[in-house]
Amino acid sequence: MNDLAYIFYSIKSRSLNSSLSVLLTSFGIMIALLLSQFSNHIKNRLDLDGKGIDIVVGAKGSPLQLVLSSIYHIDIPNGNIPYKSALEISKNPLIEKAIPLALGDNWKGYRIVGTSYDYLKHFDVKIDQGRLWNDEFEMVAGADIDVKINQKISGSHGLIDGGGVHDEHTYKIVGSLKRSGTVVDRLLLTSVNSVLEIHGLEDIDHDTEHNHDHKSDQSSDSHHESHRDGKHNHKEKTKYHHEEHVGDHHKDHKDEHHNHKHSEKHENISDKEIININSLQKNKESFKENLNESEITALLIKTNSPIANINLPRSINRETNMQAANPALEITRLTAMLGFGSKTFSILSTLLISIAILSIFSGLAGNLENRMGDLAILRALGYTKQRIFKIIVLEGTLIISFGILLGVIMSFFVFEIFSNLITPLNVSKAKFVLNFDFYFIIIIVLFSGFIASLIPAYNGSKISVANQLSQNI
Amino acid sequence: MFFLVKNLDFIIGNNTILSELNFSLDNGSHLIISGPSGSGKSTLINLMSGLYRPTSGHVSFESNDYSKLTDKDIDEMRAKNFGLIFQRLHLIKHLTVEQNILLGFNKIKLPNIEKLIEDIGLTFKKKQLAKDLSFGESQRVAIARGVVNNPKIIFADEPTSSLDDENTTRVLKLISAQANKNKSSIVISTHDERVKKFFKNILEIKL
Repeated sequence: MNDLAYIFYSIKSRSLNSSLSVLLTSFGIMIALLLSQFSNHIKNRLDLDGKGIDIVVGAKGSPLQLVLSSIYHIDIPNGNIPYKSALEISKNPLIEKAIPLALGDNWKGYRIVGTSYDYLKHFDVKIDQGRLWNDEFEMVAGADIDVKINQKISGSHGLIDGGGVHDEHTYKIVGSLKRSGTVVDRLLLTSVNSVLEIHGLEDIDHDTEHNHDHKSDQSSDSHHESHRDGKHNHKEKTKYHHEEHVGDHHKDHKDEHHNHKHSEKHENISDKEIININSLQKNKESFKENLNESEITALLIKTNSPIANINLPRSINRETNMQAANPALEITRLTAMLGFGSKTFSILSTLLISIAILSIFSGLAGNLENRMGDLAILRALGYTKQRIFKIIVLEGTLIISFGILLGVIMSFFVFEIFSNLITPLNVSKAKFVLNFDFYFIIIIVLFSGFIASLIPAYNGSKISVANQLSQNI
Repeated sequence: MFFLVKNLDFIIGNNTILSELNFSLDNGSHLIISGPSGSGKSTLINLMSGLYRPTSGHVSFESNDYSKLTDKDIDEMRAKNFGLIFQRLHLIKHLTVEQNILLGFNKIKLPNIEKLIEDIGLTFKKKQLAKDLSFGESQRVAIARGVVNNPKIIFADEPTSSLDDENTTRVLKLISAQANKNKSSIVISTHDERVKKFFKNILEIKL
């Protein structure tokens, strides 16, 4: 009878005890893996989505809220800022890149974001099908959003699903983006003008509902003046924008033929590369000119020096009625508050794994008393001490291996269930990843289980055979 | 010399169990170790099979002096050359008849286990767990385990102590038959007078 067969029957004969050890190990490893996977997912998302953004400028209020709403799109914005002021800031020589964002609406829970092509360039997102937006109310969809090219959609008020629908204007999907693994995958992107025009058609109460808090905004006076006549004024502005836009880029696009040509041009762009930088720049300039009297939600800034990350927010916060927040600082505060990715998770994981290891140790050591007779028989039949040692260590390692296997399977399924049930994980497409932490936890547990079985194995191999046999009944 | 015990002393604490014991055994010959309870018969079996180390003196098998062998050497020698049948049988309860017998097998060439199980009359119970066997059946399994390795010496400690005459005869015939197949020597410790009539060489140990 080979040793593995003996171990199998030995474990089987103590099925209740062995099962408890396996279950304890599996629960320990499951929780450790889940904590590791979720904290890793959150950390990756925070790092990836916030990569290259040094400062966020927005309305006064909570800096964390500003960062969460503007970079991660998981909170509502504090309010709006005048585009003119944002433009002034963006001219600062310390700023390498400034990307405007206009928020306020959603479609089926996916946020509609008015921005410039720079936003796509920043995340290195490529067109998958169709082309980029060119006219107002044209839109491209992130990879996670199930829409078709030429599909028309209406945005809803607010940033979560269920608000009143903007029936007056519909967006046309003109392109879909390749998966980037960033927040862009779950956004609907359009021009800033499109978002502003939709909200310009509403009365001022609507803007308040959307956190466009004009009362608290330094720009409110000028903005109110420009919108005093409501729809009429805004329509004029829209027309002006459109004409300027057309005049700037597409002088002959009034007939269908030219529109077609225009589409072809963008399809070519999408085939070759993400964005033509020159056209981007032109678009950006056009965008800036068009929005003199407008408001945006936030400005994402990349500075050209680390010192600017400290000095620029100070000067903005001191000298303007806007707020500048440092994303790295705010996220560090957030993670410190919640504890993920840091000590809390580490301590909890270590504790659970230690419990699992101790269960293996106690299982083997506890059973040893009952098994001394069997081990003495094996020794009497010629099994060497080394062979007995090996049998006990293998038995402990086998139990912990079953526990690890079950724990990994359980953690995979529980991760999938949690990912579907918990909205932030669902929308951010959390995936179970076989990363360094995964292998590290498994190896640590396996190694610890091996170590835990050494003491019982040593004691088991050292028994006095004849004395033990004389005690056996 | 096949088996030699020379000037053997075995002392536990202040208690001298065996003193100045000398005897030898030729290959294929049998030996009865007889004496009253507590005289050290089982201790002598344990010393001869290498489960105990002598306090002084020598035990050697095929000129291998136990005092010069490591624990591992003795374990391997026992596994290869000795078959043990215990007074309390010591079957592993959660293993089947077949598995218990195979525990005693340590050689490369697989034995004819089916024939052995047939010889002990347990063909239809070979998959039965040891805990579900009667005492008589368990005893036959213990004997089969002791001989499965075709040992050069079969050590049996009080194999008939709780058996009636009929079963005593049956067990001794079974051990002898298995020993004869392999020309093994048999060393039996017993205080049972019924056993002595089956063997010529008797070593009498007195208290």
